[in-house]
Amino acid sequence: MQVSAISLAEINLESLSRYRADLSKILDSSNPDLAVLPAYSALALGLGTGAFMPGPDFGATFYIFSADNEGWNDIFLDLHADLAREKGLYLAAGTTVEREGSSYYHTAYCFDPAGELCCRQRQTHLSQIEREYDFSRGEELDIFELEGPGGKPYRAGLVVGNDARHPEVGRILALRGADLVLHSGALDAGPNCWAQAAGMWSQVQQNQFFAVEAQLYSSLEGLPFEAASAVLGPCEITPGKSGYLARGYPQTPAVTAGLDEEARQEIKNNYPVLELLNRGAFSDLVNLYYDPEESRETERMYGFKRY
Amino acid sequence: MDLNVIKQKLFRKYLAWICRPSRVKKHLKSSLPAGRKPAPVNRCRVRAAALQLEFKLVENPLDYVDEMHRQVSKAADKGAQLAVFPEYNSLPLLGLLPGSGELEGGARKNAEGEKGNGTDGDLEALLPDLFRYMSPVVQPLVHVLFSSLAEAYGLYIMAGSYTLSENEELVNRAYLYDPSGKLRGAQDKVNLLPRETTWNIKRGSSFSVFKTPLGNLGLPVCMDATYYETFRALELAGADLALLPIADPQQYNFWLALRGIWPRVQESPLYGLKGALVGNVAGFIFTGRAGIFAPLELTPAGDGVLDEVEPCDREAMAVADLDLEALHALRADHPWRDQNLALYRRYFPGIYGSQI
Repeated sequence: MQVSAISLAEINLESLSRYRADLSKILDSSNPDLAVLPAYSALALGLGTGAFMPGPDFGATFYIFSADNEGWNDIFLDLHADLAREKGLYLAAGTTVEREGSSYYHTAYCFDPAGELCCRQRQTHLSQIEREYDFSRGEELDIFELEGPGGKPYRAGLVVGNDARHPEVGRILALRGADLVLHSGALDAGPNCWAQAAGMWSQVQQNQFFAVEAQLYSSLEGLPFEAASAVLGPCEITPGKSGYLARGYPQTPAVTAGLDEEARQEIKNNYPVLELLNRGAFSDLVNLYYDPEESRETERMYGFKRY
Repeated sequence: MDLNVIKQKLFRKYLAWICRPSRVKKHLKSSLPAGRKPAPVNRCRVRAAALQLEFKLVENPLDYVDEMHRQVSKAADKGAQLAVFPEYNSLPLLGLLPGSGELEGGARKNAEGEKGNGTDGDLEALLPDLFRYMSPVVQPLVHVLFSSLAEAYGLYIMAGSYTLSENEELVNRAYLYDPSGKLRGAQDKVNLLPRETTWNIKRGSSFSVFKTPLGNLGLPVCMDATYYETFRALELAGADLALLPIADPQQYNFWLALRGIWPRVQESPLYGLKGALVGNVAGFIFTGRAGIFAPLELTPAGDGVLDEVEPCDREAMAVADLDLEALHALRADHPWRDQNLALYRRYFPGIYGSQI
């Protein structure tokens, strides 16, 4: 099974037709069975095409986009559903902002080769700035089935943005049977290779699934996003035991690799990390997390903060 | 009674005699400094040392005592208030057993790529019995040794971990001593390597956190750092530092070695101190790089490393200053961390058997 992580580098965002043509060209040259686009893809395209006017900074721009993007979401999602059907591949379209009632979610979408929506995943953990923007957290992690290596059923999940840094996400997906996770990410430009390693790379190693990590290469209203897209697997079955099946530079348009399921099963048999996890020792873990509301109350009553 | 059983019992009595606490104390008396007072604690600058020990079999228990003393003295000379030792820290004492020299020969052959004579596999099969046999000798020796060293140098010492027999079962247990020489706490390894499961080592069932002036300390053991749950549980229970003894039985590879404590302190903001056992004895190759790790935001180079030793196969020591106030400030105002109780309550009962 061939998979690609697309960064949006070398894709013209100024019109829908040019975007589609450039993305098609990249998909044709990589020829994947599955491709993943990065986070903020809908916003980047909305700004590029002029469908949305930017605000004075990224935060304000994001606000403007979130407030009135329902029509744009339809256009954006239809385009990628159509492209998935045309190319006959699974296409994770990256992310947009989804509104339900008064709640806003950072949400990723994936289409199957028939162009049908096969997974919609809301980000479950918010950064400080996303909380300030009043985003809501998704409360479910979906697993969907796709046609995997050798035509066998394969289970996959989507990991949205900041969820890559929260290991609960990968563990829930893995213990519910995920063989592969598709991550749409966007990291601020700068020395971020360690932050990246602390994200999907670490989740892959402690769960022994494959991951396709698409990182955004674009500048959105003065905020540059640059990180290396990659295809990851358990260290033991990757070149140099690095955990990377393929890895590009931030400006690499597409990073592509084949997934060797037999090799993954072999390492899972030889070193069954998830079977060796003493799950019973963590049965009380959920009760150790604190409720922020309760914590605020504790702080008010006793004058100290519980972390 | 079988003659061999009698011989074994007698030999263990002999071992207990040569390792007896009074002999260790007497031996140390001449070389220990006169009770140093613990350095005053500055929560913005706690100096810690993570030790990398080269595994060598000893024929005399006092050689082991001297070696541990030398390591503590080295850490104290650097101003450390806390020293962290490796996993399986009693392995050198297997050298007290007759025939251990042959094991070293087998190991050399193995290291040179020659086909082994079966000794290595035999040894692995024998190890659980050897641990059981040595346990009554090792436990009192370790206690008196590290208790004396901690008191004499005024340090907290995480003495590494030891495979010991308890009620007919084996445990892999880490010990923490305080500067008064008191055993401050112990922690059984919770998540085991495949090899350890075949040895029928009993898994620990939870993690403890020990409150000290140097911060709240957790003592996960080696494989425990493979899982985010360990460090999350420690953090949520109030730990500031995770003191991790390791003995990694494989050839060194940067990426394989990165899979343990480093990502864990990124996921759960803690300081992580890794003491490593390295060397090649009896067919076992241990590699590692002792180090002191922290969340990316608290390291000058932004790489999550405060200090890490260079060699992966020789003795070395990492030393760094830890800032507990900065750690707490980061936790209180973290740029990207979040939690989602609704999500955990939905899935954790299914995956961990949680009762909510």
